[in-house]
Amino acid sequence: MRNRIEKALVTLFVLIGLLVAITGEASAQARTKIRYALGDVISIDELPLLIAAERAKARGVDVEITAFKSEELATQAVINGQADVGQGTPYAALQKVTVPIRFFIQLSALQFFPIVNKESYKSWKDLDGQEIAVQGRGSGTEAIMILAAKQHGIKYKNVSYVPGSQVRALALLKGNIKASILDAANKNMVLKEAPDKFLVLPLGNVKASDEALFATREFIDKNQAAIRVFAEELIKVNRAINANPKWVLEERKKLKLLSDLPAKMEGEILPYFEEAVQNGVFPNDGGAASAAQNDLEFYSLSGAIKGDNLKVEDFWYLAPLKAALANVK
Amino acid sequence: MGLKRITPILQHSLTPVSPVFWQLISVALFFGLWELAGRWPISFSFPPFSDTFLAFGSMMADGSLIKAYFSTLQPLVIGIVVASVLGIGFGIGMGLSRAIEWLTLPIFIVLQAAPMAALIPLITYMYGIGILSKVLAVAVLATPVIVMNSYKGIRNANPSLIQMCRAFLGTRQQEVVKIILPHAAALIFTGLRLGLAMGFIGIVIAELLITPTGIGDLITYNSSVADYPRMFAAIASIVIFAALTIHALERLERRLFPAEMRGLGNGG
Repeated sequence: MRNRIEKALVTLFVLIGLLVAITGEASAQARTKIRYALGDVISIDELPLLIAAERAKARGVDVEITAFKSEELATQAVINGQADVGQGTPYAALQKVTVPIRFFIQLSALQFFPIVNKESYKSWKDLDGQEIAVQGRGSGTEAIMILAAKQHGIKYKNVSYVPGSQVRALALLKGNIKASILDAANKNMVLKEAPDKFLVLPLGNVKASDEALFATREFIDKNQAAIRVFAEELIKVNRAINANPKWVLEERKKLKLLSDLPAKMEGEILPYFEEAVQNGVFPNDGGAASAAQNDLEFYSLSGAIKGDNLKVEDFWYLAPLKAALANVK
Repeated sequence: MGLKRITPILQHSLTPVSPVFWQLISVALFFGLWELAGRWPISFSFPPFSDTFLAFGSMMADGSLIKAYFSTLQPLVIGIVVASVLGIGFGIGMGLSRAIEWLTLPIFIVLQAAPMAALIPLITYMYGIGILSKVLAVAVLATPVIVMNSYKGIRNANPSLIQMCRAFLGTRQQEVVKIILPHAAALIFTGLRLGLAMGFIGIVIAELLITPTGIGDLITYNSSVADYPRMFAAIASIVIFAALTIHALERLERRLFPAEMRGLGNGG
């Protein structure tokens, strides 16, 4: 008797197992997976991406996000085929590498704040012959500081490389560095921690990509539908945020994103997005051709890309974005 | 005096066939395989040996490699000096005094086992991002091995020689200076060599994880612009540089301290 029940149970489990395997297989066939390489710690500025990924998932495109230690590693993963889509602005790498890799959508424009210790410096002119700290050699932050130096006719004594806005913010607060450039979240943090100690220097209009997505041409061509769906969701998310920054909070709660965020950082979400929307950080149209053109100018001035007669087609592939825009109009 | 006549068992022996020949074959085979793997290519970011060697040449020619070594070696040398002074000091102290041993031995055993890369954020948090943090990274990694070797060197002093010293009414000072320290010198030197090896690990970790300077900057930057031959040239150069330095020290060690000294001491 007992033996029979056991047998029946085993058969039942095997059947259930088979059923799950078959249906799983079937749904997996209909779904596309995009292996996404992020060169950063997942934090509040990645919320638009996380929301778009969730929404793409509902449409059959699984965006599997892996956080790498740095943008270089993320880019290398895409070059080597360990990831499909990378995030960042590795213009120098794209120009050099033999695999054809193209940007296809802009997520956000650069938004950085040159910040100095008030006791030492009061204006751009004071930075002449002084030491500054930026993210890395050939990075967007370095480009901004070099452009500003050119505009103000000054020259830095030394540019040191300190990866991580957060690290530079701490170093500023501890007095290890006196002049640097920070992202919005860390600029706000520094100004909040020491309100009278620091000064944000004015910056002319810089319109270049901070984060853009890139993939090999092969991957884009083979997965046009999936890329289009993902791009559509990214555009829709940017539009929703631009219309109402509070939307991010609602979506985060609804989708239970970054649920382990400490309360202190939770309070920083809304100000961050409000400020970013005000500064026009999130493009409504994925950047399109104008972003590509701006980037070429900006990153060749910065020295990241070299040579004259730079062509947009050598860096960007705009067809997927056009297809996505046609669908979200 | 008869002690000196004991046959050195561990004397360095040479094989009859010229070893240089086989060493060259081995090197050629390694670089040949590298060249093949790069040309295959196993990965788009893996350059063949020839490209890497050319990149190495151009980095030597434009001075960027020499400049990088200059800035990498500073924290390394300072860190090793600090680690040597601290390490030998504590090691000898621990070897001679039970109290110091009881107090500090656990700390160094823990430090020896601690994964350094995990401590880097802590060091950065406390000491910032300047040269001090890098020196500290080198010293923290190098000190334990120097301490442990010095300590063992002292502890392994030949007890019969110490007894002999006491039998001849030698003072504690004479015992330490004339018997224990000379006896421990070989192991202390080994500790320094291993400490330097750890120091190389420490400085490269620090330059990759704290702020990119020197060799760390060459690796990070060339990786970020996808100039993989230069990146590999920088990596290979630091590996070879470290290996050659350690090897040279090992030969020096053999010359300074003949094998019998390690086993017997020369206090007879």
